[in-house]
This record gives sequence, structure tokens and C-alpha cells, in this order.
Amino acid sequence: MTTAAPVRQEQLSPRAKRKAIAGWAFVTPALLIYAFFFIQPFFYSIYYSLTDWNGADPVKQFVGLGNYIKLAGDSLLWQALGHNLIWVIIGTISPIAIGLLLGVLIWTGAQGRIVFRTIYFLPVILSEVVVAIIWNWIYHPLFGAVNQILGAIGLDHLARGWLGDPKTALLALLMTAIWSYYGFCFVIIMAGLQNVDISLVEAATIDGANGWQRFVYVIVPQLSHVLTMITALTLIGGFNVFGIVFVMTQGGPGTATQVIATYTYRKAFQESQIGYGAALSMVMTLLSLVTSYIFIRLRERQES
Amino acid sequence: MQNTGTVQEWSRMGTRGPWQSTGRDKLFRFIGISLRYAILIFFTLVCITPLFWVIASSLKTTGQIAANPLGFPTEIRWDNYIEAWTVGRFGKYFKNSVIISLPIVTFVILLASLAGYGLARLTFRGSNFVFVVFLLGLMVPFQSIMIPLFYILKDIRFLGTYWAMIVPSIALGMPFSIFFMRAYFSGLPQELGDAAEIDGCNEFSVYWRVMLPLAGPAVSALVVLQFMGAWNAFLLPLIYMQKEEIRPLVLGLMFFRSRYTQNYPLTMAGAAIVMVPIVIVYLVFQRRFVQGLTAGAVK
Repeated sequence: MTTAAPVRQEQLSPRAKRKAIAGWAFVTPALLIYAFFFIQPFFYSIYYSLTDWNGADPVKQFVGLGNYIKLAGDSLLWQALGHNLIWVIIGTISPIAIGLLLGVLIWTGAQGRIVFRTIYFLPVILSEVVVAIIWNWIYHPLFGAVNQILGAIGLDHLARGWLGDPKTALLALLMTAIWSYYGFCFVIIMAGLQNVDISLVEAATIDGANGWQRFVYVIVPQLSHVLTMITALTLIGGFNVFGIVFVMTQGGPGTATQVIATYTYRKAFQESQIGYGAALSMVMTLLSLVTSYIFIRLRERQES
Repeated sequence: MQNTGTVQEWSRMGTRGPWQSTGRDKLFRFIGISLRYAILIFFTLVCITPLFWVIASSLKTTGQIAANPLGFPTEIRWDNYIEAWTVGRFGKYFKNSVIISLPIVTFVILLASLAGYGLARLTFRGSNFVFVVFLLGLMVPFQSIMIPLFYILKDIRFLGTYWAMIVPSIALGMPFSIFFMRAYFSGLPQELGDAAEIDGCNEFSVYWRVMLPLAGPAVSALVVLQFMGAWNAFLLPLIYMQKEEIRPLVLGLMFFRSRYTQNYPLTMAGAAIVMVPIVIVYLVFQRRFVQGLTAGAVK
């Protein structure tokens, strides 16, 4: 290495050298702030997760993998992860399916696509707290739209406090999340559809493929890039979901809608179990990293 | 595409009408079109109606809400907005949100465009490694760093000040923004920078005078995305901005709601105050919004 470096230095023209110095100068400000406020806390998270600490003591008691062993036997964590699993399955399939449906309906020839796009995307830009307030209102036991409509069509017996009933609370939250998200899937799918070769679709029509066959065998394969992308994004979002749950039910009633992010928040910031909370946040990190890794591998396979 | 123009075809058919002319095919097409628009309009209503309820409820009295929860207000009552703005301190929170969002957007754009330019145009030893380090940040959720970040902010005495939200948000904005700006700068023709260099520009003035102005579309897309992110952020201020005087709008709204649980018109007025600015920004810059969000996904 000691000999290689000077040789390379000699090979660099003064211009290339100047560029290299400028390159570092351009990157350094971003790198510094990112290193201090992102990379540093990330490694601290790993360290905290190996300690028993209440956030106030000067000493962080090192416990090795103790927190992780405790995690494995924590039934509340497993319950929360189960809710995340339901969330991820329903909350990924539904908005993508709706986005695909709307995207294909517009792409195959509807007027006013800009108007539809503008409107479908509207819920996506709202803050989670606003979305939560809107849907709390919709689910309101007395005045809420759901029960009002059920009453109007004579189905009073189905009316209930949707968020207060442990049987329906999680699904009610999921409906809210889907509402605020399908516009995003739609817009991405619309962008992907711009790259779909319409002549292939026409060729399939001539070959006698019906609408469904054209959709499944011609359009969807050409969208596979975009679809894996939003699936990955939605999965990661589902593992980390926090705002809607926290504002609408706080994980309740009981623990009926507790997800891993709200559970972590509770442990770390309400019960001051910093070490244990950090271990929980590492579970979330792991889920996100694994999903990203699978996505990257899939993408590589699609490209080759 | 085959369905467009059907209406015009019918009108050209004149007196015979569509049904006799080509029989069942036309009927199917008619049903197809109706179904298509029925679905599109159904989802339009699904998007818009809840927003209508927010505005309508915010203009009612509590009595009106009970009598007529879903319809138009019988008499418009702006007092809810005035009350939310003054008694609910939304005026203060609004100012906080502006104070927080502006530096976040400015510095994310500045730092990310510098770094993105450096990584795209000024290749240096280690530039690929630096880029990968930034990219890894895209896979790590905020929850992974939120706990230690609290203690870091406490140690450097940022907690309880606007900095507790501004600086971490800039750091969190780096991965996506650098990825985005780097991709845009890579796509610009190399010759432009070279020409400026021959004219005697140094690296920084090539970036500042030539390349950054050319990156206008990417910059404005990033501005709207970052603004939306900063304006709507929730978990981050929930942890680091608990102090009442520095709360941004979204957090103010959450605490406000838990204080006035039974006063729906007032809560709705608060929600509308949070919602309206972002909707306006969206409607004005919607092309930029969509470009920004789709750029990463479709490439």
C-alpha cells in the first residue's frame, strides 16, 4: 500500500487531483451532519440494546444479549409483531390492488386523468395526525359516518364503536392506512404504465386475449419493476407504522392494536426502559434491512 | 384505448342508435365504460368526502354536529377557527412550523445538491463508498436511531429548542436527497461543465453558476417533498419537541385534540388549519410532487 499510493498520486493529472479535492469538499458538510446525527446514533442503538439502562443513571449496566433473550419470551412483543404481520399483508395487498385497478382503468382510456390523479393523491399528502382525526370522526360511535350510514340502510345492529371494539379496531386502523396510501401506489403505477409498450397489449388483443388475460400476462409483467418497488416500500412502512396507531388508539383497546413501533415507544419513552427499547428498535431495523435486501436481490434478478 | 371515442361514434350513428347497429358488442362497451367511470368516481368520492366532512364540521356548532353530523353546515360559523388560532395557540404552532420547515428545506437542498454534485461529477477515491454509506440510510428507519438521538440532542443542549428538530431532520433528509440529486446531475451533459471550466470557472462556480441552475426541476421537486416531510413530521417532534412553546402544528394538533376531545368542531378547525397549507402547496406544485415521488421508483 505504501508504494501504491504515491504511484497513483503521480498518475493523477493536476486537474484530476483538483477535482478529487473539490469532491471531498463538496461531500464533507453532508457527510459530517449525517455521521453525527444518523450513523452515530445508529451504533449507539446497538450499544444501548446490550445494556440495562433507565435513561437517568450515570452507569449503563452491560447485559450482553440479555435484552434479546428477554425479547424472545415477551408475549406482548409477539402479539405486536402479529399485528404488524396482519398490517403488512392486508396493508400491502389492498392499496397496491386498488392502485393497479385505478391505474389500468385510466391508462386504457379514460378522460380527465390529471383530475383523477390530483384527487387520488390528496390523502397521501396529509399528516398522520390529520388522517387520524378524520377517521376517528368517521368511526365515531354516535355521529360517525360508518354508523350513520349503517343506520340509514337499516343495519343498526352492525353499528358499534369501531375503534373501541378489540375485534374491529385493528381492521379499522388498516382501512384508515389504506385510505391514506392507495393514492401513492396509484401514482407510482401510473408512472410505471407510461413505460408499458401498448403495442404488445394491442397485439395480445388481436391474438384473442381477453381483458383479464391482457392484464395478467401483458401489463403486470411489464410493471414488475415498479410493483416490487412499491411492495418493498409498503412492507417497510408496515413494519414501522406508528403515527396512525398512536394517535387513533394508542395501541388499545388493551393491546388489541399494539404494533412494534408503538410498543417500542412505550418501553423507551414512557417506561424508561432504554436498553430494552433499543433492542426492540433493533428488531425493526432488522425487518427493514431484510426486506430491503430481498428487494435489492429481486431487482438484480429482474435486471439480468 | 379502444373505448375512447365511443360516444362520438354513437352520435355519428344518428337515428339508428347504438343498440341495433352493432348489437351486443356495443352494449358490452357501454357497460364497460359505465363501470369504468363508476369505479373511478367511487374512489374520487372516497378521497374527497372525508375532507369535506372536516371542513363542514369545522364550520358547525356542537349542537349542529349532533343534529346533522354529515351534511352541510346550516349556518357558517368561523368562530371555531378564531378560537383554535388564539385559545388553541395554533397561531403560535403555525409560526413554529414555519420556523422549523424553512431551514430544513434550505439546508437539505444545499447540502444534498453539493454532495450529489460531488458524487456525480467529481469522482474521487472513495466516492463510491461514500455514496453507499448514504444509500444505507435509505434502509434504516428513523426508529432505529430515535432513542440514542434523544440523548445526543440532550447532551448538546438542543432539546427544548428548534434545533432539536431542524438538525436531525436535515441529517435524515440526506440519503434520499443525495440519491435524487446525484441521479439528476449524472444525467446532465458533461460538456456544459467542461466549457465553463475552460472559461476559467473553478469547481464551485461550475456547480453554483452552471449546474445548479440546470438542476432547477430536481431542486423544486425536492423542495416540495422536503417541505411536506417537515410540515407533516410526527414521531420526531413527538419525542424531541415536547415543550409547549416550540411545538410544530402537527404536534400541537395532537395535544389539542386530547384536550378538547368532545369539541369536534374545534378539533376539525384545528385539523383544517394543519391541512390547508399543505393542500395549497400540493395543488400549486403537484407536478413537482409527483415527479419527486416517482423519480426513484420508476428508474
